[in-house]
Amino acid sequence: MSKVDPITTEIIRNAFIAIAKDMNATLIRSAFTPVIYEGKDCSVALIDENGDVLGQSLGLPLFLGNLEICVKLIADQHGWDYFKDGDVFYMNDSYMTGTHLNDSTIITPIFWRGRRVGFAASRAHWLDVGAKDPGTPVDSHEIYQEGVRWGPTRLYEAGKPRDDVINLLRLNSRFGEATVGDMNAQIAAGRTGEQRLRALFDRFGAKTIAAARDEIFKQTEMREREAVEALPDGEYRAEGYLDNDGLGSDPLLVKVRITVKGNSMTLDLDGSAKQARGPVNCGMTQTIAAARVAYKLLICSDVSPNGGSFRALEVTVPRKTIFSAEEPAACGWYFSSLGLLIDLVIKALAPVLPDKAAGAHYGDSMVITVAGLDPRNDNRFYLMIEPTTGGWGAFDGGDGANSLINNVNGSFKDLPIEIFESKYPIQILSYGIRQDSGGAGRYRGGNGTYREYLVQADSNLFLWFERSKTTGWGIFGGADGAAPNVIVRRPGEETLEFLKINGIKVGEGTVIRSVTGGGGGYGNALERDPKAVREDVLDGFVSSDYARSAYCVVLTDNLEVDIEGTSNLRTERIGIR
Amino acid sequence: MSRYRVSADIGGTFTDIVVEPSDGPVFIGKVATTPDNPAGGVINGIKDLVSDLSQVDFFVHGTTVGLNAFLERKGQRVLLITTAGARDSYTIARGNRHTLYELRYQKPKQLVPRRDVHEVRGRLAWDGRVLEPLNRADLEPIIEKIRNEGIKAVAVCLLHAYAYPQHELEVREALAAALPELSVSLSHEIAREWREYERASSAVMSAYVAPVVQRYLSSLQQQLLNMNMMAQVHIMQSSGGVTTADNARKNPVFTLLSGPVGGTIAGTALSADTHRPNLLCVDMGGTSFDVSLVIDGKANATLETELEGLPLLMSIVDIHTIGTGGGSIAWLENGAMRVGPHSAGSIPGPACYGRGGTEPTVTDANLFLGRLGTGSLLSGAMSLDEAAAREAIERLAHEAGLERTPFAEGVLAISNATMADAMRTITVSQGVDPREFTLVAFGGAGPMAAAFLAEELDIGEVLVPRFPGAFSAWGMLQTDLRHDFTQSFFRRADAVEYGVLEECYEALELEGKASVSQEGFAEKDISYQRSADMRYTGQEYTINVPVPAAIDMATTISDFHAAHQRRYGHSNPVAPVEYVNLRVAAFGAVKKFAKTHRVSAAAKVSAAVGERSAVFNGVAHKTPVLLRDGLSTGFRSNGPVIIEEQSATTVVPPDWQAEVDAQGNILLRRRSD
Repeated sequence: MSKVDPITTEIIRNAFIAIAKDMNATLIRSAFTPVIYEGKDCSVALIDENGDVLGQSLGLPLFLGNLEICVKLIADQHGWDYFKDGDVFYMNDSYMTGTHLNDSTIITPIFWRGRRVGFAASRAHWLDVGAKDPGTPVDSHEIYQEGVRWGPTRLYEAGKPRDDVINLLRLNSRFGEATVGDMNAQIAAGRTGEQRLRALFDRFGAKTIAAARDEIFKQTEMREREAVEALPDGEYRAEGYLDNDGLGSDPLLVKVRITVKGNSMTLDLDGSAKQARGPVNCGMTQTIAAARVAYKLLICSDVSPNGGSFRALEVTVPRKTIFSAEEPAACGWYFSSLGLLIDLVIKALAPVLPDKAAGAHYGDSMVITVAGLDPRNDNRFYLMIEPTTGGWGAFDGGDGANSLINNVNGSFKDLPIEIFESKYPIQILSYGIRQDSGGAGRYRGGNGTYREYLVQADSNLFLWFERSKTTGWGIFGGADGAAPNVIVRRPGEETLEFLKINGIKVGEGTVIRSVTGGGGGYGNALERDPKAVREDVLDGFVSSDYARSAYCVVLTDNLEVDIEGTSNLRTERIGIR
Repeated sequence: MSRYRVSADIGGTFTDIVVEPSDGPVFIGKVATTPDNPAGGVINGIKDLVSDLSQVDFFVHGTTVGLNAFLERKGQRVLLITTAGARDSYTIARGNRHTLYELRYQKPKQLVPRRDVHEVRGRLAWDGRVLEPLNRADLEPIIEKIRNEGIKAVAVCLLHAYAYPQHELEVREALAAALPELSVSLSHEIAREWREYERASSAVMSAYVAPVVQRYLSSLQQQLLNMNMMAQVHIMQSSGGVTTADNARKNPVFTLLSGPVGGTIAGTALSADTHRPNLLCVDMGGTSFDVSLVIDGKANATLETELEGLPLLMSIVDIHTIGTGGGSIAWLENGAMRVGPHSAGSIPGPACYGRGGTEPTVTDANLFLGRLGTGSLLSGAMSLDEAAAREAIERLAHEAGLERTPFAEGVLAISNATMADAMRTITVSQGVDPREFTLVAFGGAGPMAAAFLAEELDIGEVLVPRFPGAFSAWGMLQTDLRHDFTQSFFRRADAVEYGVLEECYEALELEGKASVSQEGFAEKDISYQRSADMRYTGQEYTINVPVPAAIDMATTISDFHAAHQRRYGHSNPVAPVEYVNLRVAAFGAVKKFAKTHRVSAAAKVSAAVGERSAVFNGVAHKTPVLLRDGLSTGFRSNGPVIIEEQSATTVVPPDWQAEVDAQGNILLRRRSD
């Protein structure tokens, strides 16, 4: 192997990362739909000729370490020579990409002076890929109901678009033009990667780049292995439940066993729920990606991921579980189990990484959908879909964040009430931080959120709320956060409570109140500084009553800490325990 | 008798002053900033340059006083009043994450704690209809609290106030009746557009920094008056226009980023002077690197920004800051070599500053390679310690297993490549190609790196303006008075009647006229720029499209499609388009001298200072060192050559050539031979 100096290596390393950023900037700049250019529900990677990552932009976390697996899967199926200069591949098959069919993976092989030197790959969420209902159905039980499945398919061949194929994509979407627009944006991102990587080869040559790459991978692997080596050898376990599969099943077990041995780590998901009938399954590729996200949150978080990353991590999953779905399992809501998986890996390793870990967060995207005809707009169809924020876990040194979007989401921002009310025939009656919902602890779990909708046109309501069985748990003695709930009050009818529902009628005057869960606490609540509890009461994050019952902090009428009362109450409580 | 136009850019460490006489070339000064009495340093600096302040016709300055008050969290306590039910919009701050791989994410710290956010009943609909009248009784306990706790400032942000401001005005009236001394900042007056969190954040910021900025401005005005300066005190706004101190006191938030935008505005003047429409402006100092764009002669602007994660809605010159500068530290990690983002700052500063810094920085590498001389900084007023730089470089080079010279060149190569990568990403996201731009380099460290950055980006031409260290201050003298007005206007474009649109613009212009003439401008000197924030139906974000007066609406719509095409690479001419906001910028033309002289016709000093050995690409070259003050129009030289002046050092590498143009700018070009 030829040797390359550290200066050139560093310039090439920075260039790989910059190329990925440029690809991402191109994708976001050219995308048609807001879910990509505002929600940043996308990810890109620059990949070498062997399918290893050179640089990745930090887009949607859940897609970390996924795109290169897709490249390798194609090569496994067809051989590396299957990729030709001028090709652009599209694929969305859940059993290959791991995610739902809406996620489009586009791969451009990059050639330089007649040889394959790498790949530019991107993934972005497309609005509609021809499922039985608009967007992503909440009650599917076969993948065929979720849209059209594509294995690796050439959109371009020898540099020319295959119009027949592209037309097929257009025809199988409710928003065909936007779909093709987003496809073009992904192809443009691939072109940017192609041009920039070729320019880098022109400047440094193949030998130098290969040597620098090997050095970069080696350095990354070394750093990660050092971090894993620092963990005590042993087995670490955690488990939790998804509420159900969306079609009314029993709770679904997710079981995590991590074995640390020397400088490597194995994550075993044996014992986790079998493939479910409802759409909560995901392909193995996405399970590996989620495991990598959890690992990345704990190990060398500051290192930009590349082909040297994750070499210390092995993931094993038995066949036909919710984490290794096979045809015809439904995968529409593939991410609910993955948010839980990530939280569980952190829980399992918390005892040996107390300075990195945090209590669990509220857990899932908590999606509410209301659809109907808007009388203000000539009775045109409207579709309101929004995820809801919730509480995050506390950690050593800080309280969990209140009302923050969940970990598998991207750069989501809530829709301002002012914009919301102009777009939809719905008024937001109240929106706020849910008092006392964060788990008590030396550091307090973040509070969840409430949002109250007054429906002003006859509509249908769909809900996907999760994590009421395994709520945001505390660690090191911290208490668990509260569970989510949704209350529907239809005029003149009995109040209903749901978490998941596939379309009930909600007429004018209906009030829907969604409430999300809190994050877990960190450490014993009786060790929380009474002054901090008082501050929380002043800010309304904690009520006086809860301060007393959960923290044993007594406040006087003018909200000063009653030092003696607090001390007595805490002593008494410890005595009882 | 000479008359003068004077500008001052008050930075954290130094204040740059530019004086433009009516009858001679521009000259500059630099004094230490005096943080305890920011006005004091400026006044001393001006007095050094202009003996009789009554000869000053125009004075403008940029200041970080307000920004620092925010960054150091030294503003005043603010209470926020919101609509019942929507109180937590401010504290939730839209629930998003700025960094995604962070288990311990904490939201940006808000200026108003939740306990000081209060609600008042009274509800509007999105189109401004009153669904429920304002409940003034709800204000009683709030007034009681303000009185009891001695709160001096209140921000008010009610839902949909952009569409119907009356409720906010009523709140102010009720507060004023009970508490006449209270300062009240209404969200619709700061930003009359939708998005309640961003608008509340802007109103809070304005209330928060107000007293600090107001105190400072009053003190400066008083002290200048005492020195017989009769000219109005002007201040630079984030929008790139100036305003009077009297007006800035009303809404201080608009001056928050008044310092850095001067550079981009100077870029627009340079663009006109040199007939180069597209400029990539880079301002490199000790710790940061600011990149901004001039496209078609106009400063690239944005309508909102964030400060430490807190949003501000206001027209602002778009500047990207990267944490690379002369102070960036080189270090090793697992055998890999890195430069930055840690910086030695100004204390201890680079090793060669001799203030206790021991780690090698970009500046140390420049000194070691001879590109910077020991007496290059501040005309020799600050001497650099070459031995300290050598020692720092030697130690790390040894650890990295490299010779000193390749190591030092490597430090620069890495930092240049990092800056160029970031610049490229910025241009890609704007849909422009850096190769179509001329690089403009200023700030203390910019002209040293300029040619190397241009090479990385494949740019063939670099401009180093006269007085690169004071370029921002110079830019402030080139701009006009500007006040911005916005009206939210949420309609489908094809359903809007021309008369309605025209009426709205005229109303905004009337507001503009009142406000600008209040600043002492005659009607003939007032002009307006109309624009509209537009988007495709269904999109969230908008594009700001200029709307020349009396244009037909179809042209505006096709201009929107074209702007969308440029910005996003695609457009859809058949898709419905909607208006979101109408904007008017009202300008008062500031009187300027007939001709801006920036260089003497005949140099009064000798150009040649000497020569030193400077390393380029591993080869030591005997390199002439010239004094810029001695160069006049028409000067031409092949590299390698080093051109020094008080505020910066320009490095011309061997395969580049330099010439001085008619305005006194140094133009660097890649040699074709």
